[in-house]
Amino acid sequence: MKPSENLVVCTDASRTFGSGRSAVVAVHGTTSDVCPGARIAIAGPSGSGKSTLLHLMAGLELPTCGQVTWPSFSTNAAERARDIGVVFQSPSLVPALDVAENTALPLVLAGVHEQESRDRVAEALELVGVSNLAGKLPEELSGGQAQRVAVARVLAQRPRLVLADEPTGQLDRATGQHLMDVLLAATARIGAALVVSTHDRAVAERLDTHWTMHEGRLRTAATKAVLS
Amino acid sequence: MTITWLGGLLRRRTGRLLATAVGISMAVALIAALGSFLTASKATMTARALRSVAVDWQVQVQPGADPAAVMTAVAKAAGVKATEPVSMAQTTGLAATAGGATQTTGPGMVLSLTPTYRQRFPGEIRQLSGSPAGVLLAQQTAANLHVRPGDQVSIGRAGNAPAVVTIAGVVDLPQADSLFQKVGAPPQSQPSAPPDNVILLPEATFNTVMGQGASAANFALTTQIHVARDAPLSGDPAAAYESVIGAAHNLEAHLAGKAVVGNNLGAALEGARKDALYAQMLFLFLGLPGAVLAALLTAALASAGADRRRAEQALLRTRGLAPGKIARLAVVEALLIGTVGGLLGLGIGAAAGRLAFGPSPVGGSASSTFIWFAIAFVAGLVIATLTVLVPALRDLRTRTVAQARHAVGRPGTPLWMRSGVDFMLIAGALLVFWASGSNNYSLVLAPEGVATISVSYWAFLGPALLWLGAAMLLWRIANLALTHGRRPLARLIRPLTGRLAQIGASSMSRQRRPLARALVLLALAISFAASTATFNATYQQQAEADAQLTNGADVTVTESPGLRVGPAAAAGMASVPGVRHVEPVQHRFAYVGADLQDLYGVRPGSITGATSLQDAYFVGGTAKALMAKLAAQPDSILVSDETVKDFQLTPGDLINLRLQDSRTKELQTVPFHYAGIVKEFPTAPKDSFFVANADYITKATGSDAVGAFLVDTGGSNQARVATDLQQRLGAAAAITNVTQARSQVGSSLTSVNLAGLTRLELVFAVLLAASAGGIVLAVGLAERRRSLAILSVLGARRAQLRGLALSEGLLITVGGLAGGGLIAWGLSQMLVKVLTGVFDPPPSVIAVPWGYLTITVLAVVAALGMAAVVSARASTRPAVEELRDL
Repeated sequence: MKPSENLVVCTDASRTFGSGRSAVVAVHGTTSDVCPGARIAIAGPSGSGKSTLLHLMAGLELPTCGQVTWPSFSTNAAERARDIGVVFQSPSLVPALDVAENTALPLVLAGVHEQESRDRVAEALELVGVSNLAGKLPEELSGGQAQRVAVARVLAQRPRLVLADEPTGQLDRATGQHLMDVLLAATARIGAALVVSTHDRAVAERLDTHWTMHEGRLRTAATKAVLS
Repeated sequence: MTITWLGGLLRRRTGRLLATAVGISMAVALIAALGSFLTASKATMTARALRSVAVDWQVQVQPGADPAAVMTAVAKAAGVKATEPVSMAQTTGLAATAGGATQTTGPGMVLSLTPTYRQRFPGEIRQLSGSPAGVLLAQQTAANLHVRPGDQVSIGRAGNAPAVVTIAGVVDLPQADSLFQKVGAPPQSQPSAPPDNVILLPEATFNTVMGQGASAANFALTTQIHVARDAPLSGDPAAAYESVIGAAHNLEAHLAGKAVVGNNLGAALEGARKDALYAQMLFLFLGLPGAVLAALLTAALASAGADRRRAEQALLRTRGLAPGKIARLAVVEALLIGTVGGLLGLGIGAAAGRLAFGPSPVGGSASSTFIWFAIAFVAGLVIATLTVLVPALRDLRTRTVAQARHAVGRPGTPLWMRSGVDFMLIAGALLVFWASGSNNYSLVLAPEGVATISVSYWAFLGPALLWLGAAMLLWRIANLALTHGRRPLARLIRPLTGRLAQIGASSMSRQRRPLARALVLLALAISFAASTATFNATYQQQAEADAQLTNGADVTVTESPGLRVGPAAAAGMASVPGVRHVEPVQHRFAYVGADLQDLYGVRPGSITGATSLQDAYFVGGTAKALMAKLAAQPDSILVSDETVKDFQLTPGDLINLRLQDSRTKELQTVPFHYAGIVKEFPTAPKDSFFVANADYITKATGSDAVGAFLVDTGGSNQARVATDLQQRLGAAAAITNVTQARSQVGSSLTSVNLAGLTRLELVFAVLLAASAGGIVLAVGLAERRRSLAILSVLGARRAQLRGLALSEGLLITVGGLAGGGLIAWGLSQMLVKVLTGVFDPPPSVIAVPWGYLTITVLAVVAALGMAAVVSARASTRPAVEELRDL
């Protein structure tokens, strides 16, 4: 795979929070890349830097050292955001918008035609099994339902890279499993790469490539790189 | 735990705590400053009432009693500083011969003055011309007799030959009403008019003319002891009044029927205590809504953080903290906010009071200031309790953990909206307004002679209910518009939000509760600011009108009695630098029946070039229409309301006045036709008078002699122009300017430093309006930072986020300003009507302070714009940082 075809490339990227004695290095000089169609699990204990690494890959955090680049995407942050879907650990729905409006948000921002937007929203909600909740407000949803809507929003966006930060962390096992089924099926269908941070071994085992984080350092030695 | 919690609050919720404390500080500052002002202004009123009295008591010796014994007893009474005996006798008439013609007057009054009288009571007699020693003649009598100092006047004595005296000087008796009062008259009786003709004799001359040698019984001789007091009095006019009345009663009891006290001091304080109540009402009408508004602002700020507080409470409960301990944390939070806000407010109040009223307001004592500051501080704690503690405790008691963790709900229709409380309040306001109108909007009820006075607080309900009802109606309208108007709203905000217009409209529709609350709060603040400013502007307008009425114009030149000056002299005055127009006004005396009244001859076409005539001065037509009538029908005459009633006049009726003919010096009958009622007129007295066409009077009497020249200076440089005119015209002409009149006229309420109060209120009103818009929007947007951060993660551009924030600001600005403007208009109309008693003369139109209103609107727009831009900027910091923080 040529470097220019990679979706994300981290080159000796570090992220430090705070300064002086209280400085905390969340990610130490990480070098890694994600290529199209990759299915990567980043495992590691809480506080190991998984979320920060995902945020760096999403462009939500800027590295304090090194660099993160997106060779296949636009250099404009707002446009790049349309190619990268992020599922957060905690519900990230806009409280004042209903499920359908929340799901349509990235499409509205991308200027997708209204009819197409409606179709894609309906399809995404159908895919994650929450079509019946389209008119509900976030406060009227359970935690699992809200997380599925967040996934539907990412799927409706049809990004080329999906970054999911412990998407099942707040869900029971059955719901978590179902959510992973949906994520895997949907990303396969739209041909998107998927990177999931998790400390759940069962979740990690469902993905092709395993990275591990420990005290901010990424260990990729045991990784079996799988190219689609 | 409590310390940890407090530390966490201070570190992590600094903005919310500070905003709430600032809201409380506004209420505290307003109460502290206005309360101190109220106490100080009452003391000023008392001081002014005391200064306005020339003779504190006139103790009338009863027939048969020994005046010397009474005087000794009075002099020994507590609080008496000085006493002087004054004898009064009646004359059958005065006569004088000048230029070969003899002038006579009707009955009059002869007074005796001791050599020290004028030193002890300097305010009673004002020297106009001649020498202060010797026989003095009152100004009007001198005019009637055409007498100057040095001329001789014969005093008619019933049953005796007239006595002839030489006039040494001409004087004015500014307090003739009280000087010639009927001492001991029943409280409800009509005040008697002072005599038309008065001559004042030195004590020795009086004794010769009206006393020992003559038949004293024929002259209805009476003796009064005039008293100056120095007893310390309370600063509160009501307490001072009670003290003075009590002392007078005590003296009367001590004298056991030998004398009756004419209590001028009590009468002046009676007026002052009415004014003090009006000042109190101004405080309530204008200050209290401001404090309520600040409390509402605080409540809005506190409730903006309510969702987070509920979530925090829920977290504490799920972690096993007992409700009692959570309640204790809420108490600590409320106390912290209340104390910080209270202390901040006291500081602002002290600074604002110093700026508005100076370092130490006249009459303001340290203890009264301390009391008001304590009241204000407690009020701050109460507001903190109501806005921070009570909602927290209510949530703790009624909401489940699951409910509490939900942030945004589907807003239902509140009970007050379902039951139409807004309509009921507006209907109630109109009903109360109508009811108080039937009472001529009399707020202060103070029957003469009765020690207690009361306020019709009932009338307060009208404006208060209108304010509340209109605000709630606006809330209903905003709610309806946001619920059903998503499409038009989306179109409206599209230029700002672009593709996010529909999403923005949906979001605003679901956020309609906080948005409507912010909008209504802004409208309330705007209406408070605008109606307060309008009231104050109208008050200033009427105070100026009062000063203009008293003085006549910017500068007034009153010619010396007996000196005949024609209107041509105006040209010379007009050449003085700074003079824009000079208007001659004739002043004559005319008999209608047996009643002598002032007659003013004006040039109807040009009188308004030098003075303002308000429509409220007239009945039966506008000022312009009635002046046009005087011009078109020169024999038209405007008369006082009292004369119309006394003579049963209807428009067009013939009125025959007897005026002195300058050629024959005899009174001759001149026909006029009644054209309308004049209630007030520049330079005219408060009682009955006439206004007619000057040309017609000139033709009828053969004289164009001018009484006064009204000089317009364009409202500036009055003192300088007055000085220049004095230099040009010499000492014979009395020249006054409106700036002197401002400090002399009207009730003691006018003397209160309303300018300070106005400044204070207007500054607070602007601050409240700007805060209501800006802070509430900023806090509301801060609460929605997470939503904006999510949008940012999803690819929203900075301009789109700024557009969303600005859209909310725009909605609040447009709705709040429009709604506030409408409420202010209605409220101003009602306020000015309800507070009619404060205005003298009553206004015909309310004054709109456009400059101030423009500043207020600009301040609000700037505050809202700044809040929206700063919030949008804050929301574009790295989104994940935002999400992590929240």
